This record gives sequence, structure tokens and C-alpha cells, in this order.
Amino acid sequence: MLLAFGNFTADPSVNLQFLIGGLALGAIYAVVALGFVLVYKSTDVLNLAHGEFLMLGAYFALTFLVSENLNFFLGVFVLLLVMLVFGLLVHYGIMRRMVGQGFFAIVLITLGIATIIRALLLIFYGPTERARLDLLPQGSFEIGGATVRHVDIIIFAVVAACVLLFFAFFKYTRLGLHMRAVADDIEAAAAMGIDPDKVYAMTWAAAMVMAGLGGLLFGHVTGAIDRSIEAIGLRAFPAAVVGGLTSLGGSIVGGLVVGIIEQFANGHLGTKWREPVAFSVMFIVLLVRPNGLWGRKDLERV
Amino acid sequence: MTTVESPATRQYPPTYRPSTLQRILPFAIAAVVPFVLGATTGDVVFWWKALITVVVLAVVARLAWKWTPRGELTHREDMRLWRTPGDRSWAAATTFGLLVLPFILASDFTPPMDFPWATWFAVVNLVLIFAMGAAAFNLLVGYSGQISLAHVAFLALGSIVGGIVGVQWSGGNMWLALPAAAVAGAVVGAISGLPALRLKHLYLLLATFGFHFVMMLVWREYLQEYFGFVGIRFKGENSPRIASWLHWLPGIDPDQNGEFVITGQFRWYWVIMPITVLSILFMVNVVRTREGRAFAAVRDRDVSASLLGINVARSKLMAFAVSSAVVAMSGTLASFYIGSRGEDSFNVQTVLNYAIIIVVGGFSSIQGAIFGSAFFWFLPEWFKWAREELWFVRDIDFLSDYPSEIDLAIKGFLVVVILMFKPDGLAGMWRDCKGWLGRRLAGSSR
Repeated sequence: MLLAFGNFTADPSVNLQFLIGGLALGAIYAVVALGFVLVYKSTDVLNLAHGEFLMLGAYFALTFLVSENLNFFLGVFVLLLVMLVFGLLVHYGIMRRMVGQGFFAIVLITLGIATIIRALLLIFYGPTERARLDLLPQGSFEIGGATVRHVDIIIFAVVAACVLLFFAFFKYTRLGLHMRAVADDIEAAAAMGIDPDKVYAMTWAAAMVMAGLGGLLFGHVTGAIDRSIEAIGLRAFPAAVVGGLTSLGGSIVGGLVVGIIEQFANGHLGTKWREPVAFSVMFIVLLVRPNGLWGRKDLERV
Repeated sequence: MTTVESPATRQYPPTYRPSTLQRILPFAIAAVVPFVLGATTGDVVFWWKALITVVVLAVVARLAWKWTPRGELTHREDMRLWRTPGDRSWAAATTFGLLVLPFILASDFTPPMDFPWATWFAVVNLVLIFAMGAAAFNLLVGYSGQISLAHVAFLALGSIVGGIVGVQWSGGNMWLALPAAAVAGAVVGAISGLPALRLKHLYLLLATFGFHFVMMLVWREYLQEYFGFVGIRFKGENSPRIASWLHWLPGIDPDQNGEFVITGQFRWYWVIMPITVLSILFMVNVVRTREGRAFAAVRDRDVSASLLGINVARSKLMAFAVSSAVVAMSGTLASFYIGSRGEDSFNVQTVLNYAIIIVVGGFSSIQGAIFGSAFFWFLPEWFKWAREELWFVRDIDFLSDYPSEIDLAIKGFLVVVILMFKPDGLAGMWRDCKGWLGRRLAGSSR
């Protein structure tokens, strides 16, 4: 047979381990998906470079926290600050000129940015892989025969906190209101005295900070830090889409759902089934609900 | 009574119709002279041949320019592919150039400063194969507006069909594998286009990207089932051959064992070039037919296209089928040309490479695909040469320490810069140059 299936097991502790691994992976997907959602929600750009942004974050974390050996909180602060500046650079240097261009042109320009980041990281950090970060607590405990790492719980908590923070930000702050207004109708918002340029810049900065945080967290759970970790950006696509690309809460639910499904596919069928299964789930969700589970519906007038 | 000359009574150029011989002659010269030049050998004649090449190029272009129908044209003349004098001139010059190029590259002439003449032959062949695939990509994404990232999936499909039909069934019969790949590509392409009936833009892009991963799974499974980790070998005993009943053709001298194996850049060129030219002409003509105009109408607005009586579903699926068929063929051709395809021959970077090609060349233009793929393959070669030979580049250690990374950075940087400042890419620059030259010429003759 062309496609060989793996062995299914009904052992509850193995399945519990898959579930917990899925939740941990899902939390990482949620971090990445949150970055996609932030950018897509207010600027309508599908940022294919997010995986590279994340890789940038992981490498900067290496520099500031391991090579320079800064205090943990100071290092994280510097990391996020640098990422924020990069976000502003991306907006004012490149994306600002692309407002109003065709959808595919903007997708392609993010691919171009991704290529540049990949090449520069190769030049400045070299192709050798580095050990993963070990700054967060490394221990683990057992529940019902399954191992839970402390790092996974921290990641989960950070993601939940970020989502709540962004919810509050969009709901209660003035800038959040501006962001929602620009996302809704850029011309009407501009007529009301909101500067879309500033709002977009803030969005890119926020997405970059999320990518920095994501890189820091992902750097703790990945096998090793090398140039292949940008693949997480592509692998998190199904998560973002299943949840709906305009929904913050959707990204966390989508991340968890896709993470669990992937872990079970990985465990029961084999590693090669991971991406096809995740993308098939995404595809089925798209066919049933073309804007994802909680995505905004766009009306189209002829 | 005086007559006032108004724009309405402007003088049109007199109707001019060249004879059939005059229409054919420039192309006939362009087709024959390269072979005459290629058949003559000897060291001394090289510079004479170079001189003749330049002169013939100029003559052919000039004659094709001169002998073009002008004035009041019949509908048929107005609908020709090469309609204006400029079009016909370029067509004749390109014909001549494509035929004379392999003889130039195969000659033992060594250019000054160790210009890598011989290695460029391989690059030319790759450019032709990639131009074919990228043009099909442009037909789908740019011209029909169906955003798809499943492009590399069809290259992999071409390799699978090449493996099954060309290697496993027939032990290296590429001539069977190419049509099989076209058929398989059309069928699978139409299936992969089904999401386009319901999804648009972003979501269509993601759905086709999912198809990419599914196809990669099929490719890996197929490889492991039949070939193991070494991958498929398309060379050695599996190299394509010219069938023995064609050995009477001029220029085909069978090797020692009585077989004519397609090997070496020169022989490959004569296989790849016609296939590429024919498939690009096919796509250029698809764009001009009713079906092709329907593609553009669906791209602009599918609802209004359906009001015009276009079957939108059929049109979308047709665009996917045509594009995928050509891409799958280029995948098969590339597999046989490169000689082996393994587990990591197709990855996300390949998708990115095609995106770079179409952006740099010029989005939604078939001509741009050719420019883009030439740029994509020649840039690393030229850069390599510059690092070794050019005195002001040679001394910069930084450049020679990170050659491939800097290539990648340049490509990414160009994508960004071109999309920001010149969205129609190299093809747009080419059009601008022609326009500028035309205005200059018109201005000087006034």
C-alpha cells in the first residue's frame, strides 16, 4: 500500500501523554497564531514572515540572555524593545508603501522580508545549531503516567495572559479602539481623525513583540535553535485559520485544537502525517465556514 | 471652397502587404543560418562566424520589420500574434538567437577574464525549464487571479509521473512520461482547483498550501516505497533516448552501442528549448482565445463574468488544469534533466524561489517569467564570477565568506524593492525601455 498507517494504541496513559503534548504544542501555536491575527485583524496583511520574526526573536534571546548573560528580566526587556524597533522599521521602511496594493503582492513582499531575515541570520549567526534555551524552570511532574513539563505550563500561562491583555487593550484603551476602527473601515476611521499610519506602526510593533516573546518561549521547547525553526510559522497557519484570522480568542482555541490533533496524528500515524492532517483539518473547516470558526465575515458588493 | 484638415481626415499609412515569400524569408534565414554556422569548424573562422552572427541578426530583424503588413488590415492580420513591425522583428531575432546560442556556448572560445562560458550552458537549460514552469504559474496566479501556492506540488507530481511512467514502466522513456505528466497534471490540477469554487484570495492560498503538504506526503511515501533514501535516478540506464527509428534525422549520430542518449548540455538544449518554446507559445495563445479572455474576466469580477455568460466554475477549473499540466510537464523535464530527485528536492524554499522568479520578472506577465527565471539563475553565476575575477569585488572577504547567503539576501532584497518601487518588474522595465527608445526614434525622425 502506498500510504502505510501506523499502529493505534488504546493505552490511556499514552493517549494522555499525547493530549498533554498537544496542549503544549497548541500553546506555542497560539502564540504564533496571535501574531498572525494581530497583523491580519488591523492591517489586512497575511504575514508569511512571522515564522522568521519568531526565529529572529529566538536568536536575539540567545544573544541577550545567553551570550551577553544579562539579568533575565532586563534581557527580556531589551529583547522585546529591539523587536519593537524592528517592527517599526518593517512598517515605516516597507509595509507603509504597500498600503492599497493587491493582496498577493503584499503576501509576496512578506515572503521577501522572510528571505532577507533568513539570509541575514545565516550570515551573522552561521549555520551551526545552538542548544535550546534553559532560562525557565526545567523540571517536570507526572499526572496519571504522563509527564508535564513546567515550561509548558509557563507557556500556557503566558499565552492566556497575552490574550487577556490584548482583549483588554482592544476593548478599553483608546489605541485599541483606534485599531478596531481602522480594521473596520480605514477611510471612515481616517475621516474621524485617526491616523491609520500610526495605528499600523503600532500593530507591527505589537506583532513583533509577540514574535519576540514567542521566540523566547519556543526557544525553550524546540530541539535545538537553528535555521529550521522558522517552519513553526507555517505549521501554525492551520491554527490561526481554524480559529478565524480575525479572532484573538479563536487563535488560542484553534492553536489548542490543531496542536492536539497534530500530536495524536504524530503519535498514532507517524511524523509524516503531522502537516497533512493539520492542513486537512484547516481545509475542512474552511469548506464549512470559509472565514474560520470565529472569523469576521466580509460582505462583498458588486 | 477651402478644405480644412481635421483629425478625422488624417492620412493613414498606405496599405502595404508583403508577399508570402517576404513574410517567410526573415524567419527562414534565422532558422537556417545558425546550422550552417554550426556545421563549419576551425579555429580561424571563429571571428568570421561572430561577425556573420551579428550581421545576420541585424539583417533578420530589419527585414522582419520592413516586411510587415501595414495600413488597412484584414481581421485575420489584425489578430496575429506578432502584429506590429516591432513584434515581428523581435520574433525573428529571438528565433535566430535561440538557434545560434547553443553553437556559441558549445564552441571552444574562451572569453576574457575567465568568464564562465561553459558553466552557463547548464544555466541556460535550467532557465528554459524554469521559465516554462514560472510562466504557467503566472498564467494561473497573475492572469487568472487564482492565488495558488501549490505550484511545487505539481513539480513533484511531474517527478512522480516521470518515476512511474518514465522509469518504472519504460526504463527511461521521457517521451511517454511528458504527455502522461501533462494529463496527470491537468486532472490533479482541476481537482486541486475545486476549493477555488468556494474560497478566494487568502483562504484559497492557504487551501492550496495545504495541498502542497499533502502532495509532499505522497512524494515521500512514493520514494520510500520504491526507491528508498537515494531517490529516483533519471540518469544512467534511465537516461532518455531518441528512438532508433528516428536515427535517420540529420544531426543525430548514434553512439557506439547504436543508441542516441540525450546527455550533455548541447543535446539537452535541443530537447528542452523546443518544449519550452512550444509550451510558452501555447500559453500565450490560450490567453488570446475566448477561454483566456474568460480567465481575465473571472479575475476582475467573477459575478460580472457570470452575468456575461461565462461559466465561472468551468473557467476557474480550466485555469488550474492548463497551468498544472504545463507545470507537471516542466517537473518531469527537470527531473530527467537534473538526473535525480530525492526526499528534499521539493520544499518550501522551492515555492519561495518561484515566487521570487515571478516577482522579479514581473507579475502577471508571461514574458516576465522568462526574465525572472533568467535573472534567478544567472545572478548566482555572475556573482560567483565577480567574486573571483573582478578586482574591486575580489578583495572583499565578507562577500567570498558568505556567497550563497548573500545571493539569498540579494534576491529577498530585490523582491522587496521591486514590489515597492516597480511592481511590474523586469518586464515592466523592458517595456519602459522600448517605449523610451520608440519615442526617441520617433522624435528624431520627425
